[in-house]
Amino acid sequence: MDKQKVTAAILLGAFGVGFLGCVLHQDQEWSLSERRRLAQKPILSAQTLMDGKFMKEFESYSLDQFPLRETFRNLKAQVHYYVMQHKDNNGIYLVDGSLSKLETNLQQESVKSAADKFRALRERYFPDSDVYYGVIPDKNYYLAQEKGYPHINYKKLDAILAENLADMERIDLYDCLGAENYYKTDSHWRQETLGKVTDRIAEHLGVDVTDFDDYSETVYDQFHGVYRGQSALPLPAENLVYLSNDILDHCTVHHFETGKDTGIYEPEKLHGKDAYDVFLGGADALLTITNPNAATERELILFRDSFGSSLAPLLVKDYASVTLVDLRYVSSSILDQFIDFHGQDVLFLYSPSVYNNSTMLK
Amino acid sequence: MLFSSIPFLFYFLPIVLVLYFAAPKVGKNMVLLLASLFFYWWGEPRYVLLMIFTIVFSYGCGLLIDRFRGRALSKVFLGVSVVGELAVLGYFKYADFFLDSVNAVLKTDFPMLAIALPIGISFYTFQTLSYTIDVYRGEVAVQRSLIKLATYIALFPQLIAGPIVRYSDVEGELYTRRSGIGDVSDGLSRFVIGLSKKVLIANQLGALVAVLRGTGESSVLMYWVIAIAFALQIYFDFSGYSDMAIGLGRVFGFHFPENFRYPFIAKSITEFWRRWHISLGSWFRDYVYIPMGGSRVAKGRQILNIFVVWFLTGLWHGAAWNFVLWGLYFAVFLLIEKLWLYQYLEKLPAAVCHVYLLAVTVFSFVIFNGVGLSGVITDLSGMLGLAGGGLVSEKTLYYSSSYALLLAAALIGATPVVKIAAERFGKSKLGAAVMPALQPVVLLVLLVVCTAYLVDGSFNPFLYFRF
Repeated sequence: MDKQKVTAAILLGAFGVGFLGCVLHQDQEWSLSERRRLAQKPILSAQTLMDGKFMKEFESYSLDQFPLRETFRNLKAQVHYYVMQHKDNNGIYLVDGSLSKLETNLQQESVKSAADKFRALRERYFPDSDVYYGVIPDKNYYLAQEKGYPHINYKKLDAILAENLADMERIDLYDCLGAENYYKTDSHWRQETLGKVTDRIAEHLGVDVTDFDDYSETVYDQFHGVYRGQSALPLPAENLVYLSNDILDHCTVHHFETGKDTGIYEPEKLHGKDAYDVFLGGADALLTITNPNAATERELILFRDSFGSSLAPLLVKDYASVTLVDLRYVSSSILDQFIDFHGQDVLFLYSPSVYNNSTMLK
Repeated sequence: MLFSSIPFLFYFLPIVLVLYFAAPKVGKNMVLLLASLFFYWWGEPRYVLLMIFTIVFSYGCGLLIDRFRGRALSKVFLGVSVVGELAVLGYFKYADFFLDSVNAVLKTDFPMLAIALPIGISFYTFQTLSYTIDVYRGEVAVQRSLIKLATYIALFPQLIAGPIVRYSDVEGELYTRRSGIGDVSDGLSRFVIGLSKKVLIANQLGALVAVLRGTGESSVLMYWVIAIAFALQIYFDFSGYSDMAIGLGRVFGFHFPENFRYPFIAKSITEFWRRWHISLGSWFRDYVYIPMGGSRVAKGRQILNIFVVWFLTGLWHGAAWNFVLWGLYFAVFLLIEKLWLYQYLEKLPAAVCHVYLLAVTVFSFVIFNGVGLSGVITDLSGMLGLAGGGLVSEKTLYYSSSYALLLAAALIGATPVVKIAAERFGKSKLGAAVMPALQPVVLLVLLVVCTAYLVDGSFNPFLYFRF
């Protein structure tokens, strides 16, 4: 066979195999690695054909349902990262085996707007409470700065918050953490390493927290974090550890949205779409942890993002209840329909990406 | 439908290939026509009727021009054809630009029409114009088969982004053409190379430009990297598309004209335009410049001719003043070269000429890429250090180093170095032994990697679709 015949056969074969793969491929509903629903076959009708909706949706469908999609995404990531020597893939970079997401521009107006929101909440709901705030440093704070990746101006972020939240007590967590305190393939911190963080917070709030030696660990060794899916780089699974003790075992969690009561951890979610949901069941607008064995009658309201899910259980020792409010999912204007504000301690604790995109706070 | 899309690569193309090669000879044009109309309808369901109207209008005008050949009516129908086709183009592409300009100058408040631009209208309008004009001139025979003429105008490989294939280029092939294994092999190879230029280089350079624009920095380095990256992006985007079009044409037995010949290795602007978008340059030369008298007129008129042609060339690229400025910018340099500089450029060292060419073209694409005239001024000021953002900035340094290999590959790829090296290697003893196996494997790898980039949902616009 001469070169032209081989070339024609190989390329025609590739298009043919691609066509058969697309046509015969069993559609998937969900992408575990990207944590998102995949586009489904669009509805074929005269209307969708004439207004172009069918074609537009078919483009998305053909991408989402491409056969061996994960393998192709992985190939692209490897070519992009290792062959073309890009420093990041889809905005995710890899340093010392740890993935992190580039966030480079500090949106100063957004930070100020978050501070305004906190102040407004205080004025309306808890003018007499002790109110604290803090920034949960993201992984970039430790990785990007040290390894020469661009990052937001953390000093400026802190300065804006300090200027606009002068009547609240700041809790500085930057020196309580390092890159090793975060999952390698995920954005979140590792609960079992938050000893310094809980000590620092407890010191400010004036409460006691459980010594980490008194926790027992449960290890799930197949955790694939969200950055692994986004970067599509084939990093190995890692351990996700959650801490328990007698106090936590007796706590109940009331989820306002569903009306359900659960325990602190929901181990069945380890095998779901995001294993990090094991902590308090994952994203939730409003929930209260009730601790029947609390050492005091004090209560805490924690305005939080997903980092708070793994942190809050570690703060319950002295609190009879800890209420977690995620303003990304519930409007601040209706909080008094669910929470009786009566002088609880209040803590605003968010990661930089929330301060930087505070329009998501309702 | 984009060539660089999964629906095209793995649904449309395989089906069309099977239908085309399964069809009997007499049905091949019909297969291509139906496939082309489907291809256009997929991207522009509303405007497929406009396309059909254009085809029928040109067909009718061609017949009438021929019917009254030698009589005044023939000229009348040529006029009807030219005015009609330009009116359609003017309405759909330039109406809002015209109204906006009138409002700006006369301080009026005419509302914009907000007409969506039919994809590829600039390309197929020029093709139909070339047909009726050539019929009038007697340079091609009138086409009496509506199917054949429609196949020529709507032919999907070159329908929406060129090259501007003239009727005379493919007249014979509309009647008889052969597509053997060599055509399929060479055509698909060219297609995959074009796809790679588009997906692996142009799209990634586009991503670099976009990410730098998003940094909020304003350093000199940033503006220069954006300028260079965009110049390379548009080259790889457009020449990649031309490669895909030429390759697909070849698969179906057509031989489209070349559209790019490594323009950045030119030593003058005059030479650059003999290498860049060749089909457009030659169209304006043959249908505008020469009919106006070209260079066989008095110097003053000649200068006017050049400015008119480049004003129109700029305007063809987009309904905005920065495109007009872009065209006139080239007119100035072409004139300077024609009247004075060219004789010196021929004597200067090649390196000096290349630096001159690159500087002029990089600045030209800053004008081309600017968002309005104010955007052009901002970008040019930034390149000259007047934006107040310092010489270098942190994020620009990061992204420049992240894309360094891509930029280097693009710079090398914009020259014939790789082609020459591959040809030399192919002629060596080792190359002769290895190339027959290596070439198909390399092409397959490129196709697979392109697919991987597309599946990952990468940045994938086609710059020339707006023209």
